[in-house]
Amino acid sequence: MTAPGLGVSKRLVATTPAGMGSPSGRQGRAELPQLPSAPSTESRLDLLRWPLLRAVLRSRWPQLLVRVAALAGFLVAVLAGLLGTPVGNHNFGIVLVWIAWWTIMMLVALPFFGRGWCSICPIPVPGEWLQHGALLNPRRDGMGFRRAWPARLKNIWLQNGAFSGVAVCSAVVLTQPRITAVVLLAFLFVAIGTSLIYERRAFCRYLCPVGGFIGLYSQLAPVAIRVKNKATCAAHTDKSCYRGSADGAGCPWLLYPGALTKNTYCGMCMECVRTCPYDNIAVTLRPFGADLRSPAGRRLDEAFKGFIMLGAAMVYSAVMLGPWGDLKMAAYDIGSARWFAYALGVLVFINGVLPGLFLGAVSAGRALVASTQPVKRSFVSFAYALVPLGLMAWIAFSLSFVFASISYLWPTMSDPFGLGWDLFGTAHASWQPYLTRSVPTMQAIVLVGGFAWSAVTAHRIAAEEHEQRMALRQAAPVIAYCFLITVCLMGLLIA
Amino acid sequence: MRAEWGARLLVVLGAVGLAVLTVFAVRVPADAVELRGRMADDGGWTPGAIMARVGEPLTLRMTSDDVVHGFAIGQSARPAVDLLPGAWITTTVTFDQPGKYTYYCTRWCGPNHWRMRGTIDVAGPGMRAPADSVPLFLRLKLDLDQAHPSDVVPTETPAAARADGLLAAVALESGDLRTQSPVQVWRTLRKRPANTGLTDRQLWDEVAAVWRAATSPERLAEGRRLYGDNCAACHGETGRGDGVMAKSLAAGPAANSMVGEHTGMPGMSGHGTVAPTDFTNRRNMLGASAAFLQGKIIRGGMGTGMPYWGPIFTESQLWALVDYLWTFQFDYGSSAGSSAASRTKRDSASKPATRPH
Amino acid sequence: MKRSRVITTALVFALGAGVVAFAPLPGASVKPANRRFRVEASSFKYAPATIKANVGDHVTIDLVSTDVVHGLYVDGYDVSVTADPGRTASLSFVANRAGMFRLRCSVTCGAMHPFMLGKLHVGRNDLLWRALALALLAGLVGVSLAPMRGVRT
Repeated sequence: MTAPGLGVSKRLVATTPAGMGSPSGRQGRAELPQLPSAPSTESRLDLLRWPLLRAVLRSRWPQLLVRVAALAGFLVAVLAGLLGTPVGNHNFGIVLVWIAWWTIMMLVALPFFGRGWCSICPIPVPGEWLQHGALLNPRRDGMGFRRAWPARLKNIWLQNGAFSGVAVCSAVVLTQPRITAVVLLAFLFVAIGTSLIYERRAFCRYLCPVGGFIGLYSQLAPVAIRVKNKATCAAHTDKSCYRGSADGAGCPWLLYPGALTKNTYCGMCMECVRTCPYDNIAVTLRPFGADLRSPAGRRLDEAFKGFIMLGAAMVYSAVMLGPWGDLKMAAYDIGSARWFAYALGVLVFINGVLPGLFLGAVSAGRALVASTQPVKRSFVSFAYALVPLGLMAWIAFSLSFVFASISYLWPTMSDPFGLGWDLFGTAHASWQPYLTRSVPTMQAIVLVGGFAWSAVTAHRIAAEEHEQRMALRQAAPVIAYCFLITVCLMGLLIA
Repeated sequence: MRAEWGARLLVVLGAVGLAVLTVFAVRVPADAVELRGRMADDGGWTPGAIMARVGEPLTLRMTSDDVVHGFAIGQSARPAVDLLPGAWITTTVTFDQPGKYTYYCTRWCGPNHWRMRGTIDVAGPGMRAPADSVPLFLRLKLDLDQAHPSDVVPTETPAAARADGLLAAVALESGDLRTQSPVQVWRTLRKRPANTGLTDRQLWDEVAAVWRAATSPERLAEGRRLYGDNCAACHGETGRGDGVMAKSLAAGPAANSMVGEHTGMPGMSGHGTVAPTDFTNRRNMLGASAAFLQGKIIRGGMGTGMPYWGPIFTESQLWALVDYLWTFQFDYGSSAGSSAASRTKRDSASKPATRPH
Repeated sequence: MKRSRVITTALVFALGAGVVAFAPLPGASVKPANRRFRVEASSFKYAPATIKANVGDHVTIDLVSTDVVHGLYVDGYDVSVTADPGRTASLSFVANRAGMFRLRCSVTCGAMHPFMLGKLHVGRNDLLWRALALALLAGLVGVSLAPMRGVRT
């Protein structure tokens, strides 16, 4: 989503703006013209009002420190994957990435901070360093071609494809340390390459398969970066938040903060907080799921992301938590006939069956109220009702294997490279599942919440077109669809 | 600019430095041999051959790269060490005699578990103590591949407890029992005019008593343990030849689990193998001598899927194992250890244990 | 909707949810029995993969490993057993807790080991039925009470 009314070509935007030549940003700020600064109705609770947090988020150092730590963890995971034991559940790389990181990601970072992970992700660090020519304030003589991302690919279909591709290979990617290491390295090198060819964080925005689903579910997060007053932005001709200034890079995620209504593509990197000369950027605290109430910017690629994620949660629950050994072997045996059958089945299910049934539900709803909207618009709009259920399905799935597998962390922490170390005295700790009595109850609560949340969302989406009672009638088949999915998930997870 | 260089230093030292440090840390202690276990289909032991010297301690750092394995040295009294996947364990061995030793996997890890063997070449002064003797089957020049059916079989399991035991001593006069099959002993007893009053069944019971007198509960317990660890996976826990691996032996490669499926290794289980012997089969077993059975165990089946255990078991372990095999034919009573044939609740009087050698 | 009506409706629903979640259900009174299962473990599945018992049954599982060393851990009961091929191992416990419990391999047996699972069903799965009823109720509460404000165009 680039700012539509900016009138600056992206290629131009990528180069350093004129203000860059002035000795320092501070001096430049003193010469700022007065702009309207009426109290905004948009801003809710602005976390930046808290001085300590403001200092932490504005400064580059805390973020850099965390990213360095994350990069160290990333490299350790890669090395452990390559050099450590080939036994997946005893390899630090596998356990760190697919158990520890996944737990934090799915149970904490994603639901509460949305793209919070993206702001500290180590993968773009080397590429961005080269591109900016600096780790702190970007310089104009960074490396690379800074080409505009091809217009035809300015969507998340590539991410959808990448995620589907990883998903059908997940049984191997999740269990083979060498493969995990190679996949992580591939992320790193593709990110570096993309940074050198294209402008800004094209990899994160258009390619990263993890970023794709983080973006989808970040719409639910209670934290968001928004401008305080849109009038200030409209009157500010420099658009330093988008073009960059001496204080920082123009939005690496190719967004114009003044037009920001959704979290989906905002990487929470805080560059705009640093570059806005009017202190017009807020980190707001807001109700969960607020972005789903905005009808603007709904797209078919994002809608499909919702189906892919929901379907993948169901497939993973069946393959990894189900009692069906042959299904597991089919998923694991990449390249064999049974794997091709499995992969085809999964792809048809997540890209065909789920959206197909959904189209049926949406059509039924439209018929009930004789809707005049185009079918595609109804389909895309209502697909956003699946976002809460999708996230809750992932949380429910994760709960099951996280508590069962987290104890693999203790021995691998003590001996990360399989060298016979015993750093914490836990090298020989044996496997012990935790909370096995409570996990099904937790999963049930999460899924009940997910369904109710999706039902309300579907109702609200219908209410954009009709009054409440008619809206409920139109939403009813979609709600029924959500219930069907919930029944399936409960069948897979707690039955 | 100073801050920028600080940041760069931080990234290079904090992240990349750690990586470099790790690469330096990946060093096997020079004084230990790193030994990795994998399923035979995936390469078995790495390395597969180790050099050592008499009197010099050999330190082994061992791990498993896939499933649970075990490590033991053949014909030695050292207890086996379990190798758990991904965990390291260190053990030190010192050899006091030169020679070629076999180390082998002690936990079943698939149909080709027994192929997981390696050798330790121990060089140095002295002569390896000669094995007790040339194995009995070689001295007797037995043809291990000859069929050995018994033409007379009892109609029910012979029970030592039913015999009066008087004939046992008599039977022992007829020479080394280990070279005779039960049916041969039975014939000897049958031919004696003194026994004309006894039924065939009674004579079989006497044979059972003769066999029981030649072993001891301790030896049977030892045999039972060895059988459970090494034989039951194919020959079955009840000796019927229906162990969990039997399927993959009888039916060729297609019946192998996924473990062996993707290996095209010639000679792996499933290629020209035969179903494991059924130790409860009377015709087959009662026609075999202990020396014959021991020979089979030492030499193996030569391509049938039956491993060769010569380098693994000691002489006394071999005889204990053979002793235990007879419990699938004879009911020794409950005190002789429970087996398929002796589960009938009959108490037998305690008897003096006589060792055959 | 008037505020007072919203509160009344919410209270009614909350009461309903409490009943659905916690009301004691009549237990099927089946006489406890001894139940013995032979479960074969191979990479990476159990056969049978699902076993059923009634509440109070004395359950014995004979674990037979058919390729490598496997284990069996019972969720919720925190008991486990390990079996080598050729050595059947048994595990006994009293199934005094109703619901679905996963059986998990407790001995690393290859790449897919963490996903080698089976299921034990003891009695009726009340959690499932209560959860489904609660989901319906929660959906109903949601669509009837959630404010439709905040919709921007």
